[in-house]
Amino acid sequence: MDLHLNAPYCMGTIVGVTYDDGVVLGADSRMTIGMLVANDSVSDKITQLTDKVYICRSGPAAVLEFVSDYVRNILDQQTIQFGQPATVKATANLVRLFSYKNTNAIQMGQMGMIVGGWDKYEGGQIFAVAQGGTILKLPYAIDGSGSSGIEGFLDRAWKEGMSKDKAEKLVVKAVSLAIASDAASGGAVRTVTINSDGVRKNCYPPDSLPLCDDKRRRTKTKKTTTTRTERRIDAPKP
Amino acid sequence: MELQTLAMKDATIVDDGTTERTSYPYVTGTSVIGMKYKEGVIMAADTGGSYGSTLRYKSVERIKPIGKHSLLGASGEISDFQEILRYLDELILYDNMWDDGNSLGPKEVHNYLTRVMYNRRNKFDPLWNSLVLGGVKNGQKYLGMVSMNGTHFEDNHVATGFGNHLARPILRAEWHEDLSFEEAVKLMEKCLLVLLYRDRSAINKFQVAKITEEGVTISQPYALKTYWGFSAFQNPSKGAVGSW
Repeated sequence: MDLHLNAPYCMGTIVGVTYDDGVVLGADSRMTIGMLVANDSVSDKITQLTDKVYICRSGPAAVLEFVSDYVRNILDQQTIQFGQPATVKATANLVRLFSYKNTNAIQMGQMGMIVGGWDKYEGGQIFAVAQGGTILKLPYAIDGSGSSGIEGFLDRAWKEGMSKDKAEKLVVKAVSLAIASDAASGGAVRTVTINSDGVRKNCYPPDSLPLCDDKRRRTKTKKTTTTRTERRIDAPKP
Repeated sequence: MELQTLAMKDATIVDDGTTERTSYPYVTGTSVIGMKYKEGVIMAADTGGSYGSTLRYKSVERIKPIGKHSLLGASGEISDFQEILRYLDELILYDNMWDDGNSLGPKEVHNYLTRVMYNRRNKFDPLWNSLVLGGVKNGQKYLGMVSMNGTHFEDNHVATGFGNHLARPILRAEWHEDLSFEEAVKLMEKCLLVLLYRDRSAINKFQVAKITEEGVTISQPYALKTYWGFSAFQNPSKGAVGSW
């Protein structure tokens, strides 16, 4: 069986939602090399670009780590020049620029990113930078291999003007569902909540996640005991 | 400032050294239809961005105003459309900076787009779009189309993608000079409905845009009513049990 161990380290599921005060970004923490799980706990797919703008990365890990560093470098210079942190829109457009200009390069692979943050002009915003470099401002976005399974869930569950706790619970639930149905997603769920007050990071370890693998509903069922009858099977009599 | 702008200009980090590059479309928009009517030009498109066969994004605006006199609608790769809008933004900006009382009309913008598309095609790096450019300047209505290989023409009604096969025959039969706005919208909706039935990438969320001497109006997205009242739909395999 070919385990594709020469494939680039790839990444699972990312989610970003806006709520009344800001944004909540979420991701799983699994890194796969082909069919091997390289790591299920240490990776942090939500990276800081500037004070209050973070990027969720899904795709070949090395490339995307480079994108984050590259964009952060430019933003650092911009912050010094303008005397204030960059806006979410400006950051998202830099990410888009990189994605668009380098789409055709072979190393790129399936690259999908979500840029989310808070700035004083427009509040909380989520920008999806899809494969190919299309940039779209959305109230909520998902990407990664595990995202296709939760498209419907998020369409139904996201509501305008949610509270922070509701939004965070939604993100955790969404990523958990994705983990349950996607082999390339797994491990812990990390969330980053960004609003006017600041940035708060959370980690939900794997054993604390709602058991989405188990399709059993959480309703009280009567436990019926069945009596086991034992049958002795003796050796046949000659 | 130099370092920053250099970094932004030179965002093409990865240089494979290959000279032959044909890009593949990832997030695409489906048909755009345009037609002239009495006061100007009307254009319509759905607001969907497909990712292969997945109808992934449902609020993509594919018709945008350009300067004072034109409307641009695009099908194909959305990121390339967004890049074209940036080029046109720069073009209009430079035109405005002349501050000479003149402004680029639809014919000029159409020609510019043709040059851009054709040049990219010659470098084997096309912008993967079919563009519909419509507008009114000094009472003259204009409607044209440019494809990703630089083919361009003008007509009274144009369409991209599936629209060419499904909408244009309807328009050839029913379009006439000096349609009123209401008639034009009705005709447009007739075409959009056919596309909704027969184009798998179409979604039921359309925007209709119009441009006249007064300016541009782009409608809020709305849905069309589809008809399913055929009796045969109730029990289609009645006459042939086991078939579908």
